[in-house]
Amino acid sequence: MSARAKPQPAAQSSAARSSSVRTSSSRTSSSQVAKPARPAGHELPWRPAVRGLVSLLLAYHLLAVFVAPWNLSTRAALPPGYTPGTDPSGRQLPPPGPEDPSWQQPRLIRALADFCWNYQNLAYLNHGYEFFAPDPSGTHLIRFWVTRPDGKVIAGHFPDLKEQWPRLFYHRHMMLAEQTAGMGENSGIHYAEHLARVHGGRAHLEWVVHLLLSPEQVLSGKKLDDPDTYQVLATVDADAPPTPLPPVGAETQEQLPPAAAATYPSGASGGGR
Amino acid sequence: MIGVLASGRDYCQEVYRAWNGFWFTPKDPATLSLLRLLAGAMLFYTHLVWSLDLSAFLGPHGWLPVEYLRSEVQVQGAQGMQVPIWSVWSIFFWIQSTWLLWCVHLFALTIFFCLMIGLFSRTTAVLGYLLAVSYAQRVSPGAFFGLDKVNVMLAMYLMLGPCGARYSLDRLVRLRRSQQAPLGGKGPIESTPKKQTSPAASTSANIAIRLIQIHLCVIYLFAGMAKLEGANWQAGTAVWWAVANLEYQSLNMTWLARWPMLVALATHLTVFWEASYCFLVWNRYTRPLVLWMAMFVHTGIALAMGLMTFGLAMIIANLSFLSPATVRRWVDPLAARFSLLLVGKQVG
Repeated sequence: MSARAKPQPAAQSSAARSSSVRTSSSRTSSSQVAKPARPAGHELPWRPAVRGLVSLLLAYHLLAVFVAPWNLSTRAALPPGYTPGTDPSGRQLPPPGPEDPSWQQPRLIRALADFCWNYQNLAYLNHGYEFFAPDPSGTHLIRFWVTRPDGKVIAGHFPDLKEQWPRLFYHRHMMLAEQTAGMGENSGIHYAEHLARVHGGRAHLEWVVHLLLSPEQVLSGKKLDDPDTYQVLATVDADAPPTPLPPVGAETQEQLPPAAAATYPSGASGGGR
Repeated sequence: MIGVLASGRDYCQEVYRAWNGFWFTPKDPATLSLLRLLAGAMLFYTHLVWSLDLSAFLGPHGWLPVEYLRSEVQVQGAQGMQVPIWSVWSIFFWIQSTWLLWCVHLFALTIFFCLMIGLFSRTTAVLGYLLAVSYAQRVSPGAFFGLDKVNVMLAMYLMLGPCGARYSLDRLVRLRRSQQAPLGGKGPIESTPKKQTSPAASTSANIAIRLIQIHLCVIYLFAGMAKLEGANWQAGTAVWWAVANLEYQSLNMTWLARWPMLVALATHLTVFWEASYCFLVWNRYTRPLVLWMAMFVHTGIALAMGLMTFGLAMIIANLSFLSPATVRRWVDPLAARFSLLLVGKQVG
């Protein structure tokens, strides 16, 4: 209250001072007194039109920033209580395919994503922020053997702390092994071709998942790099069609006994991605 | 009825004033300048590392050939009718020869270095952003991770404001010119000694900082929400699975196996901190807690999980919440030593 009451005498004294100095401009001085306080912002350096235009651009940009991870984190859903029916022998059918009209799409989010799609791509905003989510998982590695024409075999794997330094360089190789799952089997062929080209020979690759140990297993003395913790998921040859790569999480779970499958989180959600 | 209309009008005026105050109040560019220095260093180092195997990661035929990415991965449309996404762009999509690849890479490193030291800052900030996007698009998917997202985010907002106003060679050059300009001639506009050493407050600096702050809030919000879907994050065991990952491990933290309650506490705290960051960071009382937690979490990830560059990049982004006065209190004494050495005058 006092803050609002104080300016009035000041305005009056200002008007009085103004009228005493400029006696011929009484209308001007009275208008100065009567003029209501302008909203904060009139002293801002940019004109209102410029601020309005910039505000629109900011709103669109922030919409794009927000919609990108929102779109990637939402999925279509089946209606509550939906059951996929049974086959003639009474077994329950799997959920319907993605084209089935039963799926309810997040229409608003998809529409907003379409609206921002090209801008997100141009500005490199079209991605999510799933750092170690939804669950931390075992890492993927690629083992390789390149057989040169003289019979010499060059073996290695990546990521490899001994070969790849500094740590960021190592991490780039880790991502190569990790993200091949999301790109399909052809990425493995290209890795094999690259290794064959670099080392001059015929390349053979193994795509491996390194499973994680529970606290109980570690306390019982099992090492994090125990041979049991490495499982080959697929193999690739540079000049031969690859064995199909299975879907990441499902493959790992199927190969493990039920109890173990419950113990080891799986999936390809690498850290920092 | 009139009262309702009047209160509605007052509310709109309040919102208008708050919006203007939030976005368009000129601010000292000290915080933005500090971010330029640190993010420029990060951009320079992280792109320097590509030099170790440039052709393999960024060349036309490396681990993932450009042709493969553009014809099978970065595509849109129905099956059988897929075409490359035009808006996914990179200068590396058009480079075919190794010598040109190296020329572009060396040019990019020069730009990032100039951005770091603040030479031709406004120009190098724009070029730095375009180059950072080029590198990131070339390795997405393939070898990208969170670091690239944060790098590009910082580069994007640096170019919006006067990021070289402080702690830069640009500033020292301006000072030297102002010292050499004749008195009363066509010299610098700011002629008094006080003004010479104090860059003008800037609206665009404020906008750039606000955008970094809000973008960071979006990052943490969705990182927290994604974790809420994870069974192990819900169960309070996720931190264990993260530290038990040998490929990430840079510090052996498996002693946590004996401390399940500590693991659970760290897991739940992480989720709540990430999910609530975007609300608590704006309050002056909770902001220090949220920012110190960010320092603690990202330093922990950097030291224990080998994600040093990613952790540092996130810490740099969090510095956007420091007030210009705080930045000046910490950085000006250091900057003054450099300026004394270079131009014989102490300035921030």
